[in-house]
Amino acid sequence: MPSEETKERITKVVELGRTALHYGWIPLIIYIGYTRSTPQPTLIKLISPLA
Amino acid sequence: MASISSPPTDGFTDPSPSFSPSPQKPSLIPGIAPLTNVFSRFSQWRKSLDLPNPGSVENLQKEVKTTHLTNFIFDGARADLTKSLSMNPAFQVTHSFALGSQTAAPSYNFGAVFANSNVFLQGSVDHEGNVNARMNQGWTENCITKMQAQLSSQVGHNMIQLEHDYQGQDYSLNAKAVNPWPTDLTGIFIGSYFQSLTKNLAVGVESLYQRPTPEMAELSTSYLAKITSTDKNWIATAQVQPAGIVQATYWQKLSEKVEVAADLQLIAAPARRDAIATLGAKYDLRMATFRAQLDSTGKISALLEQRFAPTFAFLVSGEIDHLKNAAKVGVGVMIESSSLTPEEMGMPPQP
Repeated sequence: MPSEETKERITKVVELGRTALHYGWIPLIIYIGYTRSTPQPTLIKLISPLA
Repeated sequence: MASISSPPTDGFTDPSPSFSPSPQKPSLIPGIAPLTNVFSRFSQWRKSLDLPNPGSVENLQKEVKTTHLTNFIFDGARADLTKSLSMNPAFQVTHSFALGSQTAAPSYNFGAVFANSNVFLQGSVDHEGNVNARMNQGWTENCITKMQAQLSSQVGHNMIQLEHDYQGQDYSLNAKAVNPWPTDLTGIFIGSYFQSLTKNLAVGVESLYQRPTPEMAELSTSYLAKITSTDKNWIATAQVQPAGIVQATYWQKLSEKVEVAADLQLIAAPARRDAIATLGAKYDLRMATFRAQLDSTGKISALLEQRFAPTFAFLVSGEIDHLKNAAKVGVGVMIESSSLTPEEMGMPPQP
C-alpha cells in the first residue's frame, strides 16, 4: 500500500487534472479543429451562431 | 516426449483438404513448437468456420434503439444550429437552445466535434459550466480506446469512464472502468466477451464488478444472446441479469423504408415484479423520418422529422399518457450551415 503522503499527492494530481480537463477540453477541441481545418475558418464564424 | 522430439512440421501432415496451412516460421524456442502448432491449427480451424463478428455488447440493441423513439423524444421547443467548418478532417460546432420543457429547465449548450480517420474528439458545455467530454482513439481498424467524462463544478457529479474495445474475427472483447481511483482501487469495472457460435447465433457474458469502498465488493454477471437472420433482415436479442431482469428485443426490416421493433422488459425481483412491452415503427421517407411507438404503460408517442431543405429540418414530437392523462408536445428546428463551398464539401456542383 502506498503511504498517506503518496495518496495525498495522487489525490492532488487527479484533482488538478480534473480541473484542467474541465476548463481546457472545449478550448482544446476548438484549437485543434481551428488549426487543422481546411480551409481555415475565421474566428467570428467559429463562435457566433449567426455568422 | 515423442511429440517434442518430432520435427515442428509434423503437425501439418494432416491430409484434411479444407486446411491450406501457410509455411510456418521456425519457432525461437524449439520446445514450444507443438504448442504453437496446436494453436495455429486451432486458429486456422476457427478461421475456416468463417464466422462473422457479432458486434459489440454495447450495440446489442442498437437497431431497436434507433427504431424506437425513446432516445429521440423531447418536449418544449428546441433549436439546434450546426455549423460545419471543415469536412476532412471533420470539424463542426453546434449551438443548442431548449426551453419550455416540463421536466428540464431552459438551457443553452455549445458543442464541438473534431474527427479524423483515427481520432474522434467531442465536447459540450452548457450554460451552467458542466462539460461533457468524449474521446475515441483508434489504434488499428478493430482496436479502439475510448474515454468519456462528465465534469461539473458541483461535488459528486463528476464521472470518468475509460474503455478499451477489441473486435476479433468472430468475437468482441471490451473492458471498462468507471470512476477508478488509483490509491484504493475502488470504482466500477465491466468486462464483456461476445462470441459467434454459428453464422446466426452469438452468445456472450458481461461481468460487472462494483467496489464502492475498499471493504465492499460485488460481482454480478449477465448473459446475452443474439440471433441474426441470414439476410440480416431480423435480429432477436435477449439479456438476463442476475437481479431477475430479463430484456428481450426483436427488430425486423419490413422493407427498404419501414422497420419495426419490439422490446419486452421483465423484472422479477422479490421486491418488485413488473413488465413493460414497447412496440415501435420507423418510416424512412425521402425527406422525412417518422417514428411511432406504443407501450404497455399506456403511452402513445410519435416523432416526425421533416427536412424541407438539406440544411433545414423541422421536428414535431408528441406523447399521450392515457393512464396518467398527461400529454407532452415538442417542436424543434435543426439548421445546418456551412462556411464551405459545395466543391470543398466534396459534392458535385449543382446544375
